[in-house]
Amino acid sequence: MARVNLTVIIGMSLPLAALAAPPADKTGCATCHQEEARLVPKSAMGIAIELADDQAVLKEHPHLSCASNGYKYVIERKDGVSIYTVSDGTALLELPIRYVFGVSSQTFVFEYEGHFYESLVSYYPNVGGLAVTMGSERLRPHNLVEAMGRETSMEEIVSCFGCHSSDGVSQGRLALDTMRPGLDCEHCHKGANAHQEALAQGKPAATPKKLGEMPAEDMSNFCGTCHRTWDAVIRMKTWGQVNVRFQPYRLANSKCFLGNDRRISCTACHNPHANLVRDDASYDHNCLACHGKAAATSGEAMQKPCPVASAKCVSCHMPKVELPGGHSVFTDHLIRVVHAGEPYPN
Amino acid sequence: MSVDEPIISCRASHNAEEALSNSAGSQPKVAAAIRGRFTDVILRVHNVIVRVERVAMKFLARIFVSATALIAASGACAATFEQLAAQANAAREADRIPQAIQLYKEALQLKPAWPDGWWYLGTLFYDGDQYESGRKAFAEFVKLEEKAAPGWAFLGLCESETGDYAHALEHIRRGLEIGTGIEPASEQVIRFHEALLLTRTGLFDQASPRFMPFVRRGVHDPTLIAGIGLTALHEQLLPKEVPPERRELIASVGETVYLWMSGDTTKTGPAFQALLERYPNAVGVHFLYATYLLSFRPAEEALAELKRELELNAHSADARAMVALIAMRAGSESAALPIARQAAQDGPMCPMAQYAYGLLLASSGDLRGAIEHLETAERLDPANVEYHMGLAGAYSKAGRHGDARRERRTSIAIAKESDPHGPG
Repeated sequence: MARVNLTVIIGMSLPLAALAAPPADKTGCATCHQEEARLVPKSAMGIAIELADDQAVLKEHPHLSCASNGYKYVIERKDGVSIYTVSDGTALLELPIRYVFGVSSQTFVFEYEGHFYESLVSYYPNVGGLAVTMGSERLRPHNLVEAMGRETSMEEIVSCFGCHSSDGVSQGRLALDTMRPGLDCEHCHKGANAHQEALAQGKPAATPKKLGEMPAEDMSNFCGTCHRTWDAVIRMKTWGQVNVRFQPYRLANSKCFLGNDRRISCTACHNPHANLVRDDASYDHNCLACHGKAAATSGEAMQKPCPVASAKCVSCHMPKVELPGGHSVFTDHLIRVVHAGEPYPN
Repeated sequence: MSVDEPIISCRASHNAEEALSNSAGSQPKVAAAIRGRFTDVILRVHNVIVRVERVAMKFLARIFVSATALIAASGACAATFEQLAAQANAAREADRIPQAIQLYKEALQLKPAWPDGWWYLGTLFYDGDQYESGRKAFAEFVKLEEKAAPGWAFLGLCESETGDYAHALEHIRRGLEIGTGIEPASEQVIRFHEALLLTRTGLFDQASPRFMPFVRRGVHDPTLIAGIGLTALHEQLLPKEVPPERRELIASVGETVYLWMSGDTTKTGPAFQALLERYPNAVGVHFLYATYLLSFRPAEEALAELKRELELNAHSADARAMVALIAMRAGSESAALPIARQAAQDGPMCPMAQYAYGLLLASSGDLRGAIEHLETAERLDPANVEYHMGLAGAYSKAGRHGDARRERRTSIAIAKESDPHGPG
């Protein structure tokens, strides 16, 4: 189409750091940033992809199976490798699982005859086994290859590795030879490696940008590089409950989202170096930073206090929403006064 | 609309009558054959019959009956108006066009608030290629019937013929927005004119997707091809305005983009290669090829084409803006900023250039400047969701939360409107 496709130019969800990032050195960073270095490798973002040797869930479940669309799927662990098998009763296709994406729910990525495929079934802890991969529910495979998985475009696979790995993408291209699973320091903190290398050599070291100082709008765009920015969701036209997993989009649609205020930024509530905290009460102080006395005493703009409660705010104002096809529940980041029976607000 | 049916012009016969009766059967039957008839003489393409939808005709018929009754009850001139109206209708139905026009004019002097009269008069003028007179008649008609979609659409079509493109676009859109009263076949013609007018007014990004339904249906018409070609080359012309020496180029570009739009991946690449070989120095062709490459090739290849475009047309704001956006996307914002600035200077009326510069200013922290340029982009092309999205972000960062929320709502509305699968 002759149309100037701005989405193509600026809309791809590829982390900027992935465009030109030298290898990271976690050990070096840990010299000074011990707590972060300790937490990140065990966090969901620190893992993000599991290679053949580290597939904890598959090791824990050495035999998984399910049936869908007339095909039978089996994942078995053999000789330290998980083998994904799909059969139609007369023939079968076997592939070793090289890449497991995700930590809780897990999807498998294969290379087959020069193309990448996303497995048509995934592991879901809430199911306790395999089920159709989210987004592939409507696919009706016509043969074993189609039943094995959905062929992905190169742009899509670059995006996958760009967000789930470090140095898996170089200059916008897939670079599996340098790819390391999960996100290391340089992935988010551009310049971190040069910083620690300079320090190690006793040279003056430029300090990477302090991400925590970004206002909410910038922070949402930064985290949204992988978690989807508000803009990206508009471009994808992802409406309905499926967009509940795109937190920056939901948050930006909140009445209380103030783009120039750090109190509503991603890192105001979440420690990006650690796993998600699921205790509702632990977020109260974040809500009260605007809606409580703290705001009044700090001189910051104060918002209307809740007339109902002053604890576990998120349990009412950020309801849990079932992700269609995802066999999981997400917290809706569209912060609001929820009315019973109201439809899911887009 | 079949493949062979025309999309630019419609023709209907005033001789062909179609009596439309009230479905209840208790009301007197009203002969209300209303067939829009208009011809694109210059382009000489095929014909298609246009009829106003039954609902609109019933509406007009009711007004006619009411008006007649009122006249009858009001005394002195009632008989004259009735007589003139009946004679005008009879003349029109007998295809005595000049006489019908005169009789409608006389009847309307007696009863200016007679919508049927203005409607018939307008269609007769339109069919006779008297577009200025038709414009006046339809303008009177929509004053009386502001919710009559066909009236707005025909008013726009007349204005298009008289060269008032901005109003033509506005009124055609108004007719389409009303959404009822236009028969599907007529709607396709009107939508096609909308696409051509978008190109004529420089709203190329909006025009492109409006050609797509015709391509999907396999319509292959010289005017469509020319419209696509003009849009692709960002030339603010109607197909009929293309100078003879450029028709071949426009048609070649149109055919190439037609293949691209139809998703024929095996033929599109070779077609572009052939186009570039044949027209290596044509302004706009390398820019077009760059947009094609961006969809699936590394950005460097598109950049090389954009560089060639700028060698041929050093002040191409579109090409320079795209270079800036690609550089920004690659994280080279400091390098992109002066390029975008130059693009914005070269193209004060180029929305993409204003947008690119605005985005980069926002990124650099100059939110005031960013908002100024993003607002310009939005003003130039208010239907482009990207410009609203850019503004939302800039307003948000600047602490203008009410404005940011408004732009977010607008962006979502535009995105949903263009998404046939969205929940609305």
